[in-house]
This record gives sequence, C-alpha cells and structure tokens, in this order.
Amino acid sequence: MSRLRAGWLARTWAVLLGFAFLPCAASRGADAQIRETVDVEIKAAWAREKITPAKPASDAEFLRRVSLDLVGVVPNNEDAVVFLDSKDVDKREKLIDRLLADPRFARHQGDIWDMLLFGRNPPGFNTDRREGFQTWLQSRFEKNVPYNEWVRELLKAEGTSADNGAMYFVQYRNAPEDAIEAITQTFLGVQLQCARCHDHPFEAWKQREFYGMAAFLARLDVVTVAQKGNTAVYAIGERNSGDVRFTGSAKEAKPGDKGEAVKPKFLLGKELAEPALPKDFKEERFAANKIPTKPKFSRKDALADWITKPDNPYFARAVVNRVWAQYMGRGLVHPVDNLSDSNAASHPALLDTLTKEFVARKFDLKWLIRELVSSKTYQLSSAGSGEPTPAWFQHARSRPLSAEELVESWQVATGYLAAETAKKPDADRFRPLGSGYLLQFFGSPTTGTGDFQGGLREHLYLNNGPLGQMIGVKGGLAEFVGDAKKPVADRVERLFLATLNRRPTSEEAKKFTAYLNDNGPVADAVWVLLTCAEFRFNH
Amino acid sequence: MSHAQSHLSRRALMKGMLATAGGGMVMNWGGLTGSAALAAEVRKQKKHCIYLFMNGGASQLETFDMKPGRPTGGPFRPIDTNVTGVKVCELMPYMAKQMDKVAVIRSMRTSEVDHPGGIHLMHTGYRASANVRFPEIGAIVAKYQGTVGADLPDFVKVSTVGSSGSGFLGPKYLPFGIGSDGNLPTFAVSNMDATKEAKRHDLRAFVDNQFATETKSEVAKMHIEGYEAARRLQKGRTAFKIDAEWDKYKELYGDSEFGRRCLLARKLVESGVAFIEVGQSSYDTHSDNATGHRGLLPPMEQAWAGLLTDLKDRGLLEKTLVVWAGEIGRTPYINNRAGRDHYVRCWSTALAGCGIKGGQAYGMSDENGIDVKENPVPEGDFFATIYKALSIDPTTENYAGLRPVPLAPFGSKVVKALLG
Repeated sequence: MSRLRAGWLARTWAVLLGFAFLPCAASRGADAQIRETVDVEIKAAWAREKITPAKPASDAEFLRRVSLDLVGVVPNNEDAVVFLDSKDVDKREKLIDRLLADPRFARHQGDIWDMLLFGRNPPGFNTDRREGFQTWLQSRFEKNVPYNEWVRELLKAEGTSADNGAMYFVQYRNAPEDAIEAITQTFLGVQLQCARCHDHPFEAWKQREFYGMAAFLARLDVVTVAQKGNTAVYAIGERNSGDVRFTGSAKEAKPGDKGEAVKPKFLLGKELAEPALPKDFKEERFAANKIPTKPKFSRKDALADWITKPDNPYFARAVVNRVWAQYMGRGLVHPVDNLSDSNAASHPALLDTLTKEFVARKFDLKWLIRELVSSKTYQLSSAGSGEPTPAWFQHARSRPLSAEELVESWQVATGYLAAETAKKPDADRFRPLGSGYLLQFFGSPTTGTGDFQGGLREHLYLNNGPLGQMIGVKGGLAEFVGDAKKPVADRVERLFLATLNRRPTSEEAKKFTAYLNDNGPVADAVWVLLTCAEFRFNH
Repeated sequence: MSHAQSHLSRRALMKGMLATAGGGMVMNWGGLTGSAALAAEVRKQKKHCIYLFMNGGASQLETFDMKPGRPTGGPFRPIDTNVTGVKVCELMPYMAKQMDKVAVIRSMRTSEVDHPGGIHLMHTGYRASANVRFPEIGAIVAKYQGTVGADLPDFVKVSTVGSSGSGFLGPKYLPFGIGSDGNLPTFAVSNMDATKEAKRHDLRAFVDNQFATETKSEVAKMHIEGYEAARRLQKGRTAFKIDAEWDKYKELYGDSEFGRRCLLARKLVESGVAFIEVGQSSYDTHSDNATGHRGLLPPMEQAWAGLLTDLKDRGLLEKTLVVWAGEIGRTPYINNRAGRDHYVRCWSTALAGCGIKGGQAYGMSDENGIDVKENPVPEGDFFATIYKALSIDPTTENYAGLRPVPLAPFGSKVVKALLG
C-alpha cells in the first residue's frame, strides 16, 4: 500500500469512526446546515481560486432546471405561470418538496440508476427486457429504501429476475471478472480493471488483488427458472465450489497455462474466512425451472455485506460524489468513478462532511438530494464560462436531456400528454414517436469520457422526423397559438411558457409576433422551440 | 504524472488548441494521444477506406487459397493471375487481372468462430465485452480521416452488417446506413417546401443564436453545428444517386446490386467520404458450398475488379484502401451436406491500394489448409496494418471512461511486408 493511500484511508476511517461517537441530536440539529456548508465551502474555493460566480438563477431558470432534475420532465404552462407569478418567499423550497413527493421522482431516479447499472445497450442474455428489474428499482425510490439496503439486496440477488434485482448479474453471466470490474467501479468508485492484466501502474491494486475480488463471484450461475410469455425468468444460483484462476501477468502467460486458484480477499483487506467443504462433498448441477438451492456458505453475500457496510471507506463516499455530480455536473472527485489518491477531490473537506452526514442519515438519498438542490450553489445561473461542467461550480452545469426526459417534455409542452393520456393512461411512454429511433439517436449522447456529443443523426431526426405527430395534437399548444381570434401577444407568451417555461424577451416577442402576423406556419414555430438548444439541454 | 491528471491536462491542452483554431465549436474530447491537432494533421492526407464485407464468411478455398488435388480442395480449379506464382479460383477471372494491386493474406487466425462474435471482431478488432462498447473501424476512420464541415457523413455503410456503430466514440461517428435498395436512412431527407424551410430555419437560427450568445454555452454551439450539418446533407445527398451514371459503368462493375454498391462507394470517395462499407450476404454455406460460391463470387469479384480499375484510373487508388474480408473463414473439410462450416484457424483476406504492396500472397497455410504454416495474422495485426496504411497510428488511445483503449488491441503488430 502506498503511503499516500494509507494516509487517505486512515483519514477516512478516522472521520467515519469519529463521527460514530457523536450524539444523534447533533446531526439532526444540522438539518438546515448541510446546504449551507455546501455554499460556504464552494464560496471559499472561489475566493481562493479568484473566481467570480454567476448570478443566481432566475425563477424561470430554476423552475425548469429543478423540474427536469427531480422529476425528469418540464413543468406545464399552468404550473409555470403559478410559480413565476407567486410572491411567496418560500416558493422554491415548496416546489422542491412538491417535486420530491411526486411519483415521477422515483421513476426518474429509477431511470438514472437503471442506465448506470445496464447502459443503453446491455450485452445480451435478454437484459434489454428487464421490466421486473426496473419496477423493483423504482420501488426502492418510492419507499425511499436506504441506499445501502437496496444495494445489498441487489448484490445478494435473491429471488428472480421477474421481481427483484437479479437481472443485474445476468448481464455478467460466466464473467466474474467483468462483474467485479463493474461492481467496484459503480459502488466503490474504484477502477480495478487495469489490474486484470497487470499490476495497476499507479494505484495500490496488484493483479492478485483483482482476482481476489473476482473470486467472490466465481461461483455464480444464471438459472432459468420459468418462462413468462416469451421472456425467460432467471435466478442467480451460487455453487459450493469453483474458483477463479490466476496466471500472472497477461504478457507472460503461456497458452494452456491454467494458473492457480485464488482465494477471495477483500480489497486492501483480509482474506475471506470460509468454512471448508466436507471431503466427500459432491456438487449438484442446478436444475432448470427450479429455484437454485443456496450454497452452504455464500461468497457473494459476504461481498455484498462488505461493500455496503457503513464503515466501508469507499461506499458512501462514492455515492455522495456520484449524486453530487448528478446535480452539479461533475463530481467533487472527477470523474465520479475514480476515487483515488492520484485523483484528489476539488473540495476534500466538503466531500468528507457530506459523506459523514449521509452515513449518519442512514444512507437517505432523498435527504441528500434535497440538500443539494436547496443550496445556493445549485441555484446559480448557468450563463458563465460556457463550459458545460465548470470545475469550481461557479455556474450551473448544462446537460443534455435523456431520451426519456426529452420525449416526455415534448409531450407536456405540446399538450400531447394532456390531450392523449386521458384516453390511454398506460400507453408507451415514448408515444407517439416510439422508443426505437429516440433511443438510437438520443439514448447515450456522450463521448467515451462522458462529455456531450451531438450527432448528425440526432439532427436529421429533429429536422425530418415525426415530431409533427405530437405538435399537431388536437387541443394542444399549436391550436392555441394558431387561434387568430386571440391577441397575438397572448399566443406568443403561451408559446414560450409552454416550451421554455419562461416569458419571451422583447426581441423574441417582436420576432415571433411578426412571424405569426405574417402567417408563418404555427407548427414550425412550435417546432423551433422544441428543437432549439435551450430545450435540448437542462441548464 | 498520474493517469487521471494527465487525462485532465491533455483535455485542457486540446481545448486550448481548439480555441486557437478559432472554431471553439468542435469539442472532440474523446481522443488523447489522438489529439485534435493530430487528427487534423492526419485528415490533411485525406485517405479513404472501402471495406468489402463478405457477410457469413466467404471460403478461402474457393477464392484465394486453393488446395487442388487435396481432400479439402473442392471442385474448382485455380487459374493464373497477372502475378507470377499467385493463383486464384477460376470463379474470379476479373480479379485475376488485378492481382498486381492486391495483397492476399492466406494466414488469418482469428478468435471468434461464430457470426455475431466474428462480426464484432472483424468490425472493431476486439472481442465483444460487457464493459466496453468498442467502435467500428468506420467510426475510427471517420474520426481520424473525416472532414470537418463536410456536406456528407464520414462513415457510410451500404447494405451490410455490424451493430457496434460508433461505440464509445459517441454519436458524432454513428454510421449513415444505406439500405440494400440504395435508399438513404430514415429521416435523412427533408420533404419540406424550400421556402417554408428557409423561414423555419431563420426563426430557429434566431432563437439558438440568442441563447448561445447569452449563455456562451459550448453545448448550444455544438447543437447549432449539428443542425447545420443536417442542412448541409440536403445539398450533398445527390452524391448517393448513381442512376444517371450506371449505364456508363455497368459493364465495368458488372450489372449487379453489388456492382451498383461499389460504384456508389467510388462516388462517395470522390465526394470526400472517409469510410464506406459495402456488404454482400449469404456466404454462410453450411450446405452446397460450391453452388453457393458459384452464385456469389462472379458478381462480387467483377464489381471488386471494376472498383479497383476505376479507382486506379481516377488516381484515387493511392489514397484509397480497399479491404476484403468476412467475419470468419470456412472449414477445409467438406461436410456431409457438401458444405463448409465456420473456421478461423486459417483463412484469407485481401487488401489493395493506399500503399499496400500488391502482387503478393502473404502467409501460408499447410497442404490441406488446416493450419497456418507461416506468418499467422491475428485480427489485431490485421487492423493495425489497415490503420497504418491509412496513416492512423494504431496505438492511438481513446478513452472508455478512464480506460485507455488503443485503436488496435494492445500488442498488435503492423505487418510491414504488406506495406510498400
């Protein structure tokens, strides 16, 4: 272990242990203070770095941003007007409370975590059809199940893919090395994968460390236990025997070299103590259509317990950093999945405090999210350096809307949702456009390092695609805007409120009034506001 | 310097370069050693690649690695070519006259024996993985040899397979897929009245420019740029129409669908497109292998020969690499249905143009074609050689998250003997 790493670990452990002795009342009293701590720490860094922050976000900017961030969809025209015109000094706080209580909050968080755990194009084994998983995940947020509890549940993978998180392991069928890479990266913010083929060049991970972790998952098996329609239902079985084998550096490995079995060992920790199997033990194969019997001793469960322990120095820190990035654009450690000494936090004290409080709050994600979006830092304007994710959080970030956010915001803005949902409340959420092209062109609009990247295909879809089907909905926005009997000022104002959730500037009012008075097609005016950059991004 | 720090500083460096380039519009953050400046330098050389993809896996024993008189030989005879000592199958008389331009590799040894795995492998150079989405060669060539601000997309696929697309390089390098009927992909064409569209464009530009100016937002600028690219395509898309020229060229390329696709590929090269993949299907001849190849090869090889001739005549062959491969080869043994099954231990591919040293057969199989006798070429070396021919350093790294991923798998070697 490098001295640096040891230092960091010791510090982290001290913080966590130290905190455990604090009386609970102290932390409860700190209720309103965490958001203030955020602002104090961020401001201190501005002073140090000689950075001028952006001005606070206007009500309109805040309304749109927080709605997309908490419920994944823009507010409708009526809600926008009520909020913008309200004189209530607590209206932002009340809006946050309302959005956090909205059922769409759980769905939106479910979308975000589902994406994180599977990506847009999971690698086969029917993992593209995982409604059972998605429903389970969403219900974790509906019930506000503590983060450590639901992750433990996920990693223990009991039950079947129809009704819980078992599907997570299906994507890593017969690939314990891939599974451990993903699990450590997602839940611990640790990049182990380099150590798969050689000792990590600048972290403490030795190659053997990697295989010691992979050994926890070496005995997993995907068992088909039932058939639901034409979808297989899976359970995750765990055998009593079986090992990963280590052949040394990939460079020096010789063909046919079987290597040696590696015992499970916790990352930078102890070897797992596991009971020996009886000498005459015979492994039975898992039968199809039968829930697999539990092993006498579960390595997988031991790993799940270790990962999610409150005193695991990575676990809480990793998720706090990840959720911070979700709302602030980038992690206090950036990128979010590389918590390491060679990649220091921009605001180390803040990350420590947030982590400590989050553990004391029993891993309550909703609490953490409320604190973050209530901070002045989150509520800055996005106009500033132009950078989508500013390093010192001196202005709000800009991020692309996900495919789901985009289509559902279009539905709200055009009036399609109001007009059509009454008829078919359970219809496909991508209606009437369908998920196929939307997921293909808008599903993961980022480069390999996570930065936004638009493409030609996205714009061909926007320009020449089927958006007109939504815009033309009966009783929708276009109908209102096209109603020549109404004053043109009202029509232009509605156009902007329904789409961009703000009133037009005087130049915009002038331009659009002239356009409408000149008999410009109304559908095109709506199209412009649905496809412009201001709509495409959350800012 | 640590990995993450160097990552960040290189990013910062690139941003600086972009600012001096004046645009500030192109945020190409994916490449590191392949920085924006390097990519720009490579692009100046304007190399192109046409990938003729034999979907299903063409037989090496019925094309470039004949085993006459051996139990594995099959019914066809080898014929002489314009290169002494290099023989090809009698089903390929047109290509026989082009072999001075072609380097055949008779010693491919790859690691995925089935179609989905093989298609991934022979499009990316990598085996599929659960944790990394590898980009196809077309996306890579588009990134390093594409043209900023061109009217046409840099990566075009005509009637072919492979679904890896741009992988972690991102949507900017997604393939532009032309169907087997020659139609452009869905949504490529605007059906709007031009005057109305101009009016809509004016309104859109007003809204977007105002927002971009006020916020200085880089993503807003990218959005505007993407929109402009979609509009430019409407101007450039006549390049995809070959009907008017077909009569003149159908003799050279052969009057076949594959011939038409090859002519289209040549036209797109002329229009500046960096990478065009042209597919031909139905090579998976588990039964009646000889009959299958008797039907498939003649139109394919005539079109291929026509393409090489046409490129050469126009002076394009020096900067256009033509790759011929499928996802797998076929078994030397003939099964009880007179078919050949999947085989990757020893099979053949071919390269021509763009500095490839033609007129040679590289590598050697044993007398029955069971195994490589000399100079095995794994997939990584195959891709490394292709990138090298296209003036792209195969060790260039891009990042999938924090993981550096070289264009050709780590440790791959360029086969120098194939390059002139």
